[in-house]
Amino acid sequence: MPEPKQIFEKYYDELLRSAHSDKMALGLSRSVNAFRAGRAKALERFPHTVELAEEVRRLKEDCIGRLDELVQKATAVLQENGAQVHYAETAADALKLIGEIVGSGKVIVSGKTLTGEEIELRHHLESLGNEYWETDCAQLLLQLREEKPMHYVYPSLHITREEVAEILTDLLGREIPPDIPTEIRTIREFLRGKYFKADIGISGCNVMGADTGTIFLLESEGNIRMSTTVPPVHIALIGIEKIVPTLHDAFNVAEVVWRYAGFTIPLYISLISGPSGTADIECTLIHGSSGPLELHVVFLDNGRSTLSKDPVLKEALRCIKCGACLFECPVFELAAGYYGGRGYFGGLGAILTAYMGEGFDIAAPIAYTCLRCGRCTEVCPQSIDLSKLMPELRHRIVNMAKR
Amino acid sequence: MKNARLYIPPAFRIISDNIARRGNPLGLKESDCSSWADGLQLPTKGETILYTGCEYQMTAYIRSLVEVLQRVKFKDSLFSAFTGIQAVTGKLGLDLMKVYSRVTGGESETYNRILRMAALILRKLDIDFAYLERELYSGALLYEYGLFEELEEQAKRVVKQFKEAGVTKIIALTPHSAEAFQQVYPKFIDDFNIDAVPYVSVVADALKKLGTKLSLPEPLTVTLHDPCHLARSLKVTEAPRQVLQTINNLELREVALNRELTGCCGAPCETIFPELSELVAAKRIEELEATGAEAVITLCPYCYANLKRSLDETGKKLRVVDLIEIVYQALEASNARA
Repeated sequence: MPEPKQIFEKYYDELLRSAHSDKMALGLSRSVNAFRAGRAKALERFPHTVELAEEVRRLKEDCIGRLDELVQKATAVLQENGAQVHYAETAADALKLIGEIVGSGKVIVSGKTLTGEEIELRHHLESLGNEYWETDCAQLLLQLREEKPMHYVYPSLHITREEVAEILTDLLGREIPPDIPTEIRTIREFLRGKYFKADIGISGCNVMGADTGTIFLLESEGNIRMSTTVPPVHIALIGIEKIVPTLHDAFNVAEVVWRYAGFTIPLYISLISGPSGTADIECTLIHGSSGPLELHVVFLDNGRSTLSKDPVLKEALRCIKCGACLFECPVFELAAGYYGGRGYFGGLGAILTAYMGEGFDIAAPIAYTCLRCGRCTEVCPQSIDLSKLMPELRHRIVNMAKR
Repeated sequence: MKNARLYIPPAFRIISDNIARRGNPLGLKESDCSSWADGLQLPTKGETILYTGCEYQMTAYIRSLVEVLQRVKFKDSLFSAFTGIQAVTGKLGLDLMKVYSRVTGGESETYNRILRMAALILRKLDIDFAYLERELYSGALLYEYGLFEELEEQAKRVVKQFKEAGVTKIIALTPHSAEAFQQVYPKFIDDFNIDAVPYVSVVADALKKLGTKLSLPEPLTVTLHDPCHLARSLKVTEAPRQVLQTINNLELREVALNRELTGCCGAPCETIFPELSELVAAKRIEELEATGAEAVITLCPYCYANLKRSLDETGKKLRVVDLIEIVYQALEASNARA
């Protein structure tokens, strides 16, 4: 175990190194400007989103107090739909569970999952002797560079097209030019070979409606669709705070997520409520049709229940991971996701890292970094008041240290 | 909880210790905090006070403390500092007075001058106010750091002082103290009912009542750097603009990220991450420079100091001016002509 001071120094070194990197500054400034323009346009075309966000805020507030009930409700419905439902109290439990489902020597394709980052799922399944491919363009680039994601929606926003060309040239052993369309086409060709070889597809979940057990997956690349439809087994890892009471509620949450993430509409929205099935022969439902034979839903607590019981910090669970806040954060603008933990970024990421991620020792320096300038709150669809939460988190930290 | 051994930045301990012992975060002497008022003959008792919170006064010294904090090798286990009787600085063999002696008179005079102007502006605008000679710092930083128990103790001392002096209304010179009194104290002190108004709001109202236009002796183009806590926590964005509108010969060029979207000056992380603080300041200066203004107006001593240092180090043409300096100059020039 590294000493607390070493953790602090390592964190600050990385933060400063990235803040001083010209390449990162270029990638970030291109991304920040493009994002701001995109979100403004999306909100201008769909102005009702602002009111909808307010409705979603009240909904999520209500759900935080009902986590157990919502898990139970969703579990029953999913089982009825033919899914196998598992509950993991900790990251270790989730890894063990998923490891048992997957086994070893398998090919795995995965859509982007923050919850997977939280528990280091790829690392674990690779250590069991599996071949694991991130199929989200950004996540694949990060897998190849052996780096952590930098943002919830745009994990590789700090990587320039020039650097992408280098990564792909290295991967394929032939010259790939720094031209974005060529790069994307190259990634497409590389990944398409993987889906039909895969034994397992893994996904996260943007939001789930408990009454129908429906997993919402928002994307534009089509990689999540492929990963969750082509392989015979689909495993969905879902943080329990993602569950809302109804399918209709889930749609509202989803729309707010994608709009504040800068999209007028994501090109694909997948709704998955069970393994594939058909009742075409004698109206008798049989699971395992053209799509996956099995759907495993793994609900993960990993600190969420504890956080949901904190009278003040529970507000952090309202976060729907649109990442709009990060684009307004002065520190994020310099250091991207190095201001954050493994899978949770920025000031709010300090709270999530403390309770759901690597723990308070890693979260402490992240918490000290927040400027409490409050600009994140101005763009947060959930009106999460970080300036109020941050002193509270620090209070919990200093009290633990005083003991 | 998953972990209990946690790193606490030395600044947390030193600042809370200074506040408890000397009434202000840097441990400045009483005379360093109050000398600005020498010769002004301000009343020291009254219902309304001008509250400086020792914040402008300490701005000149922050960097010296930060530099020392960077040089001193701290052990991990300073936890006992929270409960120990001996001063943390003493334990570390740090002599703060010696540290601060490197700060030149000119540097501290910059801020004392602004304080005098702040008081003289109120006087010129016929606002009755007093000033507490042995003023205590609000404790805003203790709240920021999550040192709630220490904050509560400080808040009680501050409130006791206010009560003894018969204070019912505070003209809060800095956004931090205005925020502390308006939003933090009510959480920690039962029945806290002292009205705290940001200085700029008081001046804006008085100038409106006055109804006459002021003027600068020379034309000046400025941009306005809204302090985060003023614009967002306190939602005061129009008062400084109203003030500027009453001044002729002054052109305001708004920075792209203004009002509630204003950008941080970097000061909040200075005591813990000084290099990061400089990078944040440099980024904000880029935004402010893009307006093409000659000067950037600030309303917070921390913004003033952090932006100024960054500008001085890079030798840029843009200069930092406190709104107080502009108003004072305009009032002087306008009086002179009348």
